Amino acid sequence: MSDRPIRKRLRVPALLRGRGATRHVAMYALSLLVILGVWWGASALIKEWKGGREYLPNPVRAIGEMARLAPLWFPNFLVSAWRLVLAILIAFVLGYPLGLVIGRERRLDEIVSPMIYIVYPIPQVAFILLLFLIFGIGNPVKVAIVATALFFQILISARGAAKNIESTHVTSVLSAGGSRFQIYWHVILPATLPAILTSLRVSIGLGMAFLYIAETYGTFDPRRGGLGAFIRANSYSAVQAFAGILAMALLGLILYVAIDLLERLLCRWKYTSRRSS
Amino acid sequence: MIEVDSLVVEYGRGAEATRAVDGVSFHVGKGESLALLGPSGCGKTTLLFAIAGLYRPRGGSIRIGDEPIRGPRREIALILQDAGLLPWKTVWQNANLSLRLRGEYPTKTAADVLGDLGLADAKSRYPSELSEGMKRRVGVARALSTSPSVMLMDEPLASLDALTKERIQNLFLNLWTRHRFSLVLVTHDIEEAAFLGERIAVLTECPARIKTIVENPEVGDLGYRDTPAFREVVQRLREALEVRS
Repeated sequence: MSDRPIRKRLRVPALLRGRGATRHVAMYALSLLVILGVWWGASALIKEWKGGREYLPNPVRAIGEMARLAPLWFPNFLVSAWRLVLAILIAFVLGYPLGLVIGRERRLDEIVSPMIYIVYPIPQVAFILLLFLIFGIGNPVKVAIVATALFFQILISARGAAKNIESTHVTSVLSAGGSRFQIYWHVILPATLPAILTSLRVSIGLGMAFLYIAETYGTFDPRRGGLGAFIRANSYSAVQAFAGILAMALLGLILYVAIDLLERLLCRWKYTSRRSS
Repeated sequence: MIEVDSLVVEYGRGAEATRAVDGVSFHVGKGESLALLGPSGCGKTTLLFAIAGLYRPRGGSIRIGDEPIRGPRREIALILQDAGLLPWKTVWQNANLSLRLRGEYPTKTAADVLGDLGLADAKSRYPSELSEGMKRRVGVARALSTSPSVMLMDEPLASLDALTKERIQNLFLNLWTRHRFSLVLVTHDIEEAAFLGERIAVLTECPARIKTIVENPEVGDLGYRDTPAFREVVQRLREALEVRS
């Protein structure tokens, strides 16, 4: 007997097979279709359950409304986008090198790690009031709230990744006469980059949540207050608020794709596989 | 060339210190080869790393040429287990890492070395795209890039299949006879030690001490494996290691 029946059962459409950008785009399209399907089903169920009230608009209506309200949400989208990107950059620039050094330098780790263990478990939301008092209600506080939340996330990921580096790689550079700086440059930085990019992906979700909180409080201009302010200003209409939620999802998706592309560019070695020798 | 005298290496400090190498002495002349043969975990890698300048001895001394060892030196090359390649660097970057770390640029010789080792077409590949045998050859290319006078090998063929292992052993022998560097090979493979070591120092269980040194003067020919002299050396090494059939 051949294994043909098994192969038949496992067959996937040609577009999703193989490698490359086409497959990547096809997978995203498939995911989107699944989300739209689930969304549609949930919308119909909630409408039925709530006696015809549309708390969760169906995808067609929500996307239609999103297109109609584009002139209103798009300026807010740009405001949220630069706040989030700036906060990620600040958290990355401060947290990544510090995490690497703490992870590699034992004495520093012994001093700093207890401080992290004390501060990190405190919900970062608790610092929001303090940050508002320090930075006021303008842009700096929004960026500071998100950057503070992401800083610890990136710091702890970097520290963990730096601790788990294979000693052979360090020995390899040391035995060839490498200095401490060269060990960081040639081993620790590239070895930890994939883990940090994964941490950044996780940070996007966390960052969006904190950005929403930051933009919901202390914002008085619904036109340029960011997506959080837009959603709050339109909370009287589920359909219009949903346009803001979809814009947040779009922002998240753009950042995820950007980090994916960055990883493919910076960690090309991760995307190779053994060829015939 | 390499002078190791009453060497003691310990891990940790004070009462919790663990002795890994205990009073080891030997001499390897210019262009000679010595195999350090011992059971796994006996301290032979620690001994080799101390010669490479990676560990500071607790006692005794190591001299290469007339200079005591205080850290890694240009004339010393170390080939690690699994070749120690950096996965994020291409074959070319890995092979020339030692030069780049010293602020030097790869020369035509570096390209020739890759060509001699059959890696010319693999220059832009990453280690994950290579077979195990190719990875070991890249490790060799890196070691040769600085034209070392001392070659240290830390179980360089561990975990290779028998055929690849024999091919790379032949390659090592060819390189040693051609370049005539002083070679110190750490291994737990009896036949590998007998094939590559002009002298074979048999080490005890941890902490490493030299139990006996077996002379193996006929080494240096690819056909040596098929001779009675080779089988006799292997037998003597088995007896020294107390391997019972």
